[in-house]
Amino acid sequence: MFAVIGIKTFDFINDIGRFAKFFWQSTIVSLNCFLRAKAYPLIRTQMNIIGVRSVPVVMITGAFVGMTLAIQAYDQLAGMGLEERLGVLINISVVKELGPVLAAIMLAGRIGGALTAELGTMNVTEQIDAVRSMGTDPIRYLVAPRILALLLLTPILIIYTDLMGILGGYFISVIQFGINSKAYWSYSASFVELWDVAIGVVKGFFFGVAIAAISCYKGFTCKEGAQGVGQACTEAFVSSFVSILALNFALAIIFKAIYFTFWPIKSIV
Amino acid sequence: METENENKTKAKNEHNSIIEVKSLIKKFKNKLVLDKINLNIEKGKTTVVIGPSGCGKTVLLKHLIVLLRPSSGEVYFNNDRIDDLKEKELDKIRTHYGFLFQGGALFDSLSVRDNIIFPIDQHYKITDWKQIDELVKSKLAMVGLDGYQNYYPAKLSGGQRKRVALARAIALNPDIILYDEPTTGLDPIRSDIINEIILKLQRELQITSIVVTHDMKSAYKVADRIVMLHNGKIVADGDADYIRNHPHPVVQQFINGQVDEDDLALLRMKGTMSQAQFLPSDFVQ
Repeated sequence: MFAVIGIKTFDFINDIGRFAKFFWQSTIVSLNCFLRAKAYPLIRTQMNIIGVRSVPVVMITGAFVGMTLAIQAYDQLAGMGLEERLGVLINISVVKELGPVLAAIMLAGRIGGALTAELGTMNVTEQIDAVRSMGTDPIRYLVAPRILALLLLTPILIIYTDLMGILGGYFISVIQFGINSKAYWSYSASFVELWDVAIGVVKGFFFGVAIAAISCYKGFTCKEGAQGVGQACTEAFVSSFVSILALNFALAIIFKAIYFTFWPIKSIV
Repeated sequence: METENENKTKAKNEHNSIIEVKSLIKKFKNKLVLDKINLNIEKGKTTVVIGPSGCGKTVLLKHLIVLLRPSSGEVYFNNDRIDDLKEKELDKIRTHYGFLFQGGALFDSLSVRDNIIFPIDQHYKITDWKQIDELVKSKLAMVGLDGYQNYYPAKLSGGQRKRVALARAIALNPDIILYDEPTTGLDPIRSDIINEIILKLQRELQITSIVVTHDMKSAYKVADRIVMLHNGKIVADGDADYIRNHPHPVVQQFINGQVDEDDLALLRMKGTMSQAQFLPSDFVQ
């Protein structure tokens, strides 16, 4: 049994090492691609697949998150006579945490799985070897455009999620529960800062890169056969999901430390 | 022990070799796939590598273009060592190669035209698209598929896919083409079309070809030289007549397509094929 645990641990560490190498190569190549006009058509194609077609999904996610938060929080706040502040709770939660995280998870499912399946199929049908055999770096041709597309589009998709979350919350709070519209917006505006919105959007850059890098890596290293591709897709989603949550935690600590450094008095108040 | 014929072939090839493999060993985890392979590929000739499935033919082929790295040993292209080069350095070397993969490995998302343009677009700045379209037309004409430019790989038959893949492999006018099982999965007529194309490319463009196959009809038709691999080692190396008359029993068994006594003994085992083996015990007709 100890031998099995030892082998599994060794394999896991090995896999982390291989991913780190892949990630480093992909980062360098992506930076090069960003500066080369020849790569732009590839990035544009991926942006269309990844971004434009994901807009409805993330908007629906945002709307339901906002509406659910309103339904859940109304009773508690109304009990204390603070229902007009419902917008603060909904909007802070949406723009800072739930919007970015849930949009990223939706993207991990919709885009990450598709990326892994596409690259995994290319791998098992020797298309990636074909790219290499023609003197082209498969990371430059296949991985970099996908990383750049997700890096650039995830923050924009998060803005869509935030907007729909805010509108969903407003719809339930004002139309359904009859909260005064002016008070709802005025409290929201005074408590939700640009900093809170910025945190959510900046998180998008990290989440986008994590989803793309993990999904492409799993596709590149997937085992042969339909079962291999299926397994790679599952692993890609689970790894992306865990990475999003872990990154969200780490970024929360970092952003809090930055906030305290630059606005120490404001945070105490 | 090497025969006189094999020594002559080696000596002749060393003078005019485009690819040279020295003491190549390849292991996957603990499994030895290639065991100290030494091979010289003569410029402008067609070398066919034969051997039973799983003997390491494709692995050897992928080492010649360094898609796989050797566990030990060396690979040379035009007398320059290439197995230790970085991927970026290899990209330039690989433009001298064309590789026909077993399943074609065409890019599903690209049309036939875009598949053929792909290697050109990767290495040259295309300014005159009319000229490129003419080039695509001529490459497709060479494989008998002019007019299929706007088709997608999914709409093509297995043979057509291989021919388009071949057109893509010759897009950069390579010095050498590696064919991985070019006739596998094709009917005899389509197989012969592929054989004729291989011969035509060698005749008209003086391209060096290395063909991995277990189709002996194809091997005899296209080969200037046949190399047989068995258990990761070269067991025979010479022209078609030499291979036909080779005394090694493994070579004779393979080229004549005969099962050996061990396989027959397994098939003769009592009850192996009986219905009882395949049906549940409570099965009632």
